[in-house]
Amino acid sequence: MSTSVREGGLIAESGRGGRRPILTVAGLSAWYGELRALHDVSFDVAPGEVLAVIGANGAGKSTLLKSITGMMNRGRAAHIDGTIDMRGRRLNRLPTEKIVEAGVTMVPEGRRLFPRLTVVDNLLAGAYLPRCRERRTERLEAMFDLFPRLAERSDQLVSQMSGGEQQMVAIARALMSEPRIILFDELSLGLAPAVVDDIYGKIRQINAQGITCVIIEQDMNRALAASDHVIVLLEGAVVLRGDPAELRESAVTAAYFGSRTQGGPT
Amino acid sequence: MSEFDEELYWTLIDIANGLLTGTVIGGYYAMIAIGLALTFGVMRLVNLAHGDFLIVGAYLAAVILQILPVSPFYTLIIVVPVMFALGYGLQRFLLNHVSVQAMEAKGLSASYGLMAPILVTFGLGIFVSHALLGIFDSNAMQLRNAFAFSAIRLSADLNISLLRFIFFLLGIVILIALHLYLTRTHTGRAIRAASDDAEIAPLMGIRTAHVYGLASGVALAIAGAAGVMIGMIRTFQPFDGPQFLLIAFGTVIIGGLGSIAGSLVGGILLGITQVLAGTYFGPSAQLVGGYMLILFVLAFKPQGLFSR
Repeated sequence: MSTSVREGGLIAESGRGGRRPILTVAGLSAWYGELRALHDVSFDVAPGEVLAVIGANGAGKSTLLKSITGMMNRGRAAHIDGTIDMRGRRLNRLPTEKIVEAGVTMVPEGRRLFPRLTVVDNLLAGAYLPRCRERRTERLEAMFDLFPRLAERSDQLVSQMSGGEQQMVAIARALMSEPRIILFDELSLGLAPAVVDDIYGKIRQINAQGITCVIIEQDMNRALAASDHVIVLLEGAVVLRGDPAELRESAVTAAYFGSRTQGGPT
Repeated sequence: MSEFDEELYWTLIDIANGLLTGTVIGGYYAMIAIGLALTFGVMRLVNLAHGDFLIVGAYLAAVILQILPVSPFYTLIIVVPVMFALGYGLQRFLLNHVSVQAMEAKGLSASYGLMAPILVTFGLGIFVSHALLGIFDSNAMQLRNAFAFSAIRLSADLNISLLRFIFFLLGIVILIALHLYLTRTHTGRAIRAASDDAEIAPLMGIRTAHVYGLASGVALAIAGAAGVMIGMIRTFQPFDGPQFLLIAFGTVIIGGLGSIAGSLVGGILLGITQVLAGTYFGPSAQLVGGYMLILFVLAFKPQGLFSR
């Protein structure tokens, strides 16, 4: 994002230098049939950052992630308009499997594990791409280092695990494809606070390895605490963006709950 | 041997024969059924043309034998890959376009996706059987082989057909191979992942259209092998498909859809029931006995004995 982009008078950019963005979303709109879910959404994601996308239910957060991962262009029922580029490579119009091959993956809402597969088979399914197959054993070891709990339960069916453990499998499964960007959809939904703390700790570890993270979160405070940069969506449009340290909580709250008229700098 | 002993002896022989022959037939039934179970288990697609494709396998072998008079077993080298390609193409170019996912992408309700393949494969079955009639004729054909009348003699009064025993062993080998393929290989794991959640599988880099094609290919490859077995055991005609579809349905209903072990056990139970019913109530009771078992399972465990 260039420093000239400002929303609501807030300084949108600081401390990120002039690094070339790893992902650029420009003029993105999305429809479900006649229903428009995103309105001209534009933003950049800097390499190695944690970007949080916050907003109320129905604000278009999941649609945004589905658009990036190619899950909105599978038929006539849903479609998108605008461009999504990863380091100059156009991602929109590509099928999901090609986008994953390019290095973007997602931890879907509700985890969506393969219920009739064991933990280890879920993880290995994540390493399906030809470029991941050779290193799958070492990747598996790395996942078991990151989530020791999964090593103990590697042969268990995922449907028999707790929500927190399932979220770990979902994150590890996404990491198996050796992504450069991971999108997390509703990361903390339905999980106990202690488990969420644990998961956010893992996200920091993953991010420290240089993997760019985009987090969708309903819990505003968690999102502000965990991210380098925040976007607030309201009714499918970006209404506020900036660095958490510089955003006034009242402005974020106002944006979250739908007042577009929040004032300028304090 | 006293009279009482002799009666007991024959009863035991009958039961032993029922269990043995039934079990051996069960392996053959499992081969007939597994393609249907696989297609439903992975794609949620009921292939009503499955029986007709078994017969296509038999005719394919017959054509090869006319050109090259070898043992029918060798025809598998050609029949299996040809049927695989047929299954893959059928899925990619026809069935993927009428699936649940395809209907949802068109903005239609999922029920279209459940109904459309049933109608399409029903029509496909009619097309295939009439194409066979057009290319060949209605005369019964058979794949002649050296084993057709050989038996393994277990005692003076207890034999099993050598051919059926070979098929049983071959069936076991193929079912184990299929199990290993689905559980131990990358593609097999991808097939199971796509079967569990077709919307999310692409996030693993899995191309579901291709993976479905592979599953259908494997289903028809095994159906082709089963068709060769059918042709070696009995005569076949273009319109024999539906009767084998019924055997496949019976086997799958008893064993539970989408389970390889279930198909084998379902086939064995169906085989034993048919042989015993035939022994005690005459040949016409074979079919009735089999259907009674199917009804019984449907009434008390409609999900099948081995479904998870």
